[in-house]
Amino acid sequence: MNKIKLGIIGMGRMGITHYSIINSHPDVEIVSVADTSKMILDILKKYVPDLQVFKDYKELIDASKPDAIIVCTPPNLHYEVCNYACEHDIHVFCEKPFTANIEQAKELKEKFAAKSLINQVGYVNRFNDIFMTVKKYINEGLIGNIVRFRSEMFTCTVTKKEETESWRSFRENGGGAVYEIAAHAIDLVDYLIGKPDKIVGTSMNQIYSKHVEDIVSSTFVYNNGTSGTLYVNWCDTSYRKPANKLELFGIKGKILADQHGLKIFLNADDLQTGYKKGWNTVYITDVFTSVDFYVRGNEFTRQLYYFADSILKKESGNKCDFSAGYDAQYVMNQLFVDSESNKLN
Amino acid sequence: MEKIDKIIFGDNQFFGINHMSQEKAQQLSEKFFNIENIYKVYDIAFANGIQAVMLNSNDRAREICDYFRNHKSQYGHLSWYPSIPYPHKYANMVNEKGIFPAINDVLFKNNTALGVLGMVAKGGMAVLNKDAIELMKMLVDVEAKIYKGLNVKVIFLQNIIVDLLLGYDFKDVFYEYCEYIRKKYHAIPGLITQNLPFLKKKLEEWQIEEVVICSSINKIGYLMSPDVPTYVETINNNHSDKYQLMAMSTLASGAIRAKDAYEFINSLNLQSVVFGASSEKNIQETVSLINIK
Ligand SMILES: NC(=O)c1ccc[n+]([C@@H]2O[C@H](COP(=O)([O-])OP(=O)(O)OC[C@H]3O[C@@H](n4cnc5c(N)ncnc54)[C@H](O)[C@@H]3O)[C@@H](O)[C@H]2O)c1
Repeated sequence: MNKIKLGIIGMGRMGITHYSIINSHPDVEIVSVADTSKMILDILKKYVPDLQVFKDYKELIDASKPDAIIVCTPPNLHYEVCNYACEHDIHVFCEKPFTANIEQAKELKEKFAAKSLINQVGYVNRFNDIFMTVKKYINEGLIGNIVRFRSEMFTCTVTKKEETESWRSFRENGGGAVYEIAAHAIDLVDYLIGKPDKIVGTSMNQIYSKHVEDIVSSTFVYNNGTSGTLYVNWCDTSYRKPANKLELFGIKGKILADQHGLKIFLNADDLQTGYKKGWNTVYITDVFTSVDFYVRGNEFTRQLYYFADSILKKESGNKCDFSAGYDAQYVMNQLFVDSESNKLN
Repeated sequence: MEKIDKIIFGDNQFFGINHMSQEKAQQLSEKFFNIENIYKVYDIAFANGIQAVMLNSNDRAREICDYFRNHKSQYGHLSWYPSIPYPHKYANMVNEKGIFPAINDVLFKNNTALGVLGMVAKGGMAVLNKDAIELMKMLVDVEAKIYKGLNVKVIFLQNIIVDLLLGYDFKDVFYEYCEYIRKKYHAIPGLITQNLPFLKKKLEEWQIEEVVICSSINKIGYLMSPDVPTYVETINNNHSDKYQLMAMSTLASGAIRAKDAYEFINSLNLQSVVFGASSEKNIQETVSLINIK
């Protein structure tokens, strides 16, 4: 294969970042972008004369014939864009949340698997140096079987009543703290512990949003006796940047982790890792590996390079595929169902 | 190109930024909530011979700049190295409204402190022409206002913007930024990056010279893309009359002991180091360890 011909659909915040990152990949050529906003298309056209720009994603696919696309539209459009790409045998990287509807997630997962096209969802924490390290330690049995966990995420995304409404203001468009933020905290659980067998005790609060939830908490239960809690708040102004926080309690010790580092408590010395009985601190500077081009954190580069390298068959492509996208979608759907049934009136 | 200061005092320590530990960052941000405590640390730095300050245009920059402007007789000799913009200031607006409405608000709504009339006339044009370079100049003006009247030597563009634009290969935007800073502000254009070798290669290709490049430089390669050997080669083959190189994150958020960190820094062909510290002991120690040519 020559260079991968790539198109980007949805040039908002994420599309703009992804363009910059993937444009640095030596085997990728960005041939086209699509967005319904003329403003961004005009600017790009002006400074990148060779780029083909489209208002309609179908035209992008029909006319520029990309090998692969990156989908960064609002979530309610992910399904139709991915579906159209699948019909045209195009590899897809789709931003999270995978869809805004569980049936659509299932259908896409099955269709892409049947065609053996590379498919990836933007759960970027799977490419984060710290969380990759946590995964490795869990697999090696450092803290033994995990009995109990907490997965939390805090951001200051919504800090006052919104003056204008956008796709973020409506659940059916993929807005709300669950789709926007909790998605990441849920995917971390899926990635590190597995998909829960039952979801109970879900509750949601509104602070500033009119139509969607601002806070969510829930309990995840597993057939093997493990359980854990989820707590996510996107109105927390005490956090300058989005923060994931994890606590994993196992029979041999526990791990506390966030994007910056991890603390490990062990009941006994561990020969393989060299960690001692008691507290051990691991900083990001102890475990990071560099990426070739940095825009917004190593994980963002790593996830897109992984997508391109999977198309080039240098990677397996299954680290965060549409079935992972479906799993998170399933949990989010359960959260909505469960919280409805827990309402008092 | 005018020589930049060898040692520059940074500001991350004041604003709850610590890449290593949120807890540490929290403690510091509590301590420096009272702005007097910030001025005290500056005075310690100045007493130890530092005469240059790098300041990010965050929420408190305006107040800090006012203070130094109002005490000109005492601080008039200092050189300033502002870096713009402060991304988090815009992040929420962009979240809520999208990119272009947010830019619009910054330029036309939240402009109590700006020269409104000229700006609106210019802005109306820029938006009509969808001219990214005009927009860029206006955003620079909004941010640069904070530092007006101070002795500004370099105006840096933050890495989050530089590296994003670098990925797009936007030569014109880099060129115009540098020219604008030189002509309008009579300062040296500065670019902060986490991709020093790539940026420098591009600047050479584009024939953009006489620029200060600031980048994380530490021996473990933290926040250095692609890797340490490529950095070392780039730095040691550099001609400082074309590009003056400034090191930041020299301790890699505390992962490296100061002595080892500066042994590495001093072995490189660097023109400047920016560091932040909040205790007299650390400031003294760092100043005594920095020994670049
Ligand atoms: N992984 C992460 O950390 C992360 C962070 C932010 C957003 N996201 C996800 O990325 C996606 C986009 O979010 P965003 O913040 O960039 O939103 P955004 O609103 O900034 O951008 C969406 C873009 O899609 C365009 N668009 C709308 N309809 C379109 C259509 N029919 N065809 C083509 N383009 C169309 C809009 O004009 C806009 O430019 C969402 O799924 C979001 O959840 C992921």
